[in-house]
Amino acid sequence: MQKVPGHAHDLIEQWVEPSSRVLDLGCGDGSLLDRLKRSRQVDGIGVEISQDMIVQCLSRGLSVYQADIDRGLSQWDDLSFDYVILNATLLVTHKPYDIITEMLRVGRYAVISVSNFGFLPNRASVLFRGSITGDVRAAGTWHDSPVIRFVCLDEFRASLREMGIDIMDARHFLPLGIVTRTRIPLDNLLVREAVFLLRRGA
Amino acid sequence: MSTHRIVQTRFLHVDRPFRLESGDTMAGLTIAYETYGEPNAARSNAILIEHALSGSAHAAFHHEGDARPGWWDAMIGPGKAFDTDAYFVICANVIAGCNGSTGPASPDPATGRPYGLGFPPVTIRDMVEAQRLLLAELGVERVRCVAGGSMGGMQAMQIFCDYPALFDSFICIASTMRHSAQQIAFNEVGRRAIMADPRWNGGNYYGELPPEGGLSVARMIGHITYLSEKMMQEKFGRLRKGKDSRAVFRPSFEVEHYLDHQGVAFVRRFDANSYLYITSAIDNFDLVSSISGPSRHRGENRMRGKGFDTMRRKKGLVISFTSDWLYPSQQSQAIVRFFSGLNVRVSYAEIPTDHGHDAFLTDVNEQTRLVESFLSSLDA
Repeated sequence: MQKVPGHAHDLIEQWVEPSSRVLDLGCGDGSLLDRLKRSRQVDGIGVEISQDMIVQCLSRGLSVYQADIDRGLSQWDDLSFDYVILNATLLVTHKPYDIITEMLRVGRYAVISVSNFGFLPNRASVLFRGSITGDVRAAGTWHDSPVIRFVCLDEFRASLREMGIDIMDARHFLPLGIVTRTRIPLDNLLVREAVFLLRRGA
Repeated sequence: MSTHRIVQTRFLHVDRPFRLESGDTMAGLTIAYETYGEPNAARSNAILIEHALSGSAHAAFHHEGDARPGWWDAMIGPGKAFDTDAYFVICANVIAGCNGSTGPASPDPATGRPYGLGFPPVTIRDMVEAQRLLLAELGVERVRCVAGGSMGGMQAMQIFCDYPALFDSFICIASTMRHSAQQIAFNEVGRRAIMADPRWNGGNYYGELPPEGGLSVARMIGHITYLSEKMMQEKFGRLRKGKDSRAVFRPSFEVEHYLDHQGVAFVRRFDANSYLYITSAIDNFDLVSSISGPSRHRGENRMRGKGFDTMRRKKGLVISFTSDWLYPSQQSQAIVRFFSGLNVRVSYAEIPTDHGHDAFLTDVNEQTRLVESFLSSLDA
C-alpha cells in the first residue's frame, strides 16, 4: 500500500461529523476507522480484501467486510452511509470510475486521497533517473507493486468534472509540511498528495 | 491416551409438555448435551455451539475409550478458537436427532414404542427452543456467543433472533437464511432414497433391519455436495481401486469407494427417520419470515419488530468458503445485509479454500484466527 500519512487521518477526522455512518474502503488494519470510532463515535464498516487485515480489524472490535471493491458495492443500499472513504487506495483499483460512482451511490459524501504523479520529484525521477520513484510505487517494483495507476492532480480533477462530482473541500499537501485548502499556482507540480471531500453534483 | 480430555454426554430430562412451533405438544423430552470448560462466577462466559445435520452433542474432547474426538475438537479446547480455558462451551444434540436427544427412534410415551413417523414435525426454532431450556437448566443467563456451521449456523441465527437479550453475538459459518430450490432438491433426493428403500416401511423399521441402503445413498449425495469439484478431482480423479473389475457395476473408481465408505459409516451412527425430519426442518427454515411474520409461540422476540432494538449494536461474524457451492458466499452475504439492516454489527470473511462446504470442519486455521480475534473483541 501507499504510505498512509498520519495527516490524512487527521484531516479525515476533522471532516467526519460525529455519530455519522462511515464505510472505509480498503481499510487495512482498521486504524483510521478505529480512530473515527473513538473520537467521532462513528458507526463504521471497513472493507478489506486481505484476510490478515480482516483478522486485525476484528481484534480491534471493528465491523469489517471481506470483499474486492473492484467488484462493486452492491452489498449496500443507496445512501447507507454519510461518508465513504477511499484513503490511499484509489491507485490500486482496477475500476476507479466505477468505484467512485458506487461511493457516491451508497454515501452522501466521498473522501478520496490521491497521490499526485505530477509532483516535481516524481517527474524529476523519470526525467533524470529514468525510473519511477519508490514512493509512487509504495512497496514494490513495476511488476509487483499494488499501485497500478498513476494520475496527476489535474487529470483527477478533470475526471471529477466529467463525472459531475462536486469538490466540497480539499487539502493539498506540499513539501515542508505545508497544507493548503485553496488551489495554488502550479499545484499539479507542487502538490504531493491531495484529499478531497466530494459530493454528487446537483 | 492419557493426554485426551474425557467428556461424557449428559442428559436433561424435561417432564413438562413441550410445545412445538406447529402447535403440536410433546409430553416431554430429553436433551443430550456436553459441556467443556468451566462457567465463571458470574456465569457470563458461556458459548453455545450448534451442530450441523449429522452432528451430535459430542463436539469436542474424547469419550472414554474412543480414539476419535468430537466433531469440532479442532476448534474447541484449551487454547483453541473456542478456548475452554476461558469459556464454558455447551453443545446439545438437536431434537429429532438420534444421538441422545428425543427423536423418531425414541419411545413414544403414549405407546412405549418408537415414534417413527408419529414423531411430530419440528423446526429449527423448536430445536433452539429446546436448547433454551437447557441453558436455563444450566443457570446460563448470558451467552457470549452462539456459533455453528451449516444447519448449526441456522440455529445460531434463530436463537440469536429469538432471544436477543441472552446473546452477545453470533457466528454463522457456511449457512443461509433459507434454502434455495437447489438445496431443497438435493435434500429431497436424499429423502426419496430413504423412502424408496423397502426396509424403510413407512418409517416403521425399529427392531428390524433399518433402511441402510436408502440412508447410505442419501449420505452419498450429501457428500458430493459437501466437496468441491476441484477437490474431488484432485483427491480421486479417475483412480481405480483393485485390479479385478470383472464383476460389473461393482465400485471400482476411488471416488465410488469413498462415497460407499461414507455411506456405510453413516448408517452405523444415524437414524434414517432422523435424516428425514432434520432435512425437512432445514428446508422449511426461513429466518426472515420466522422472525418478522405474525405472532408465534416462541421467543421473547415473538411480536413483530419487538426485540430488534435489543439486537442493535450486538455483534455477528459471518464466514463463507470460496469453493462452497452448497452454501455459496452470496447466501452468507445476504445474511450480512439482513443483520446490518437490523443494526447488528456484522463482519464477513470469505475464506479461500478448495475444500467446499466441508471446509467448516477441515479449514481450522483460518477459522481459528477469525473466531479468536472476534471473540477477543467482545466486551467482557
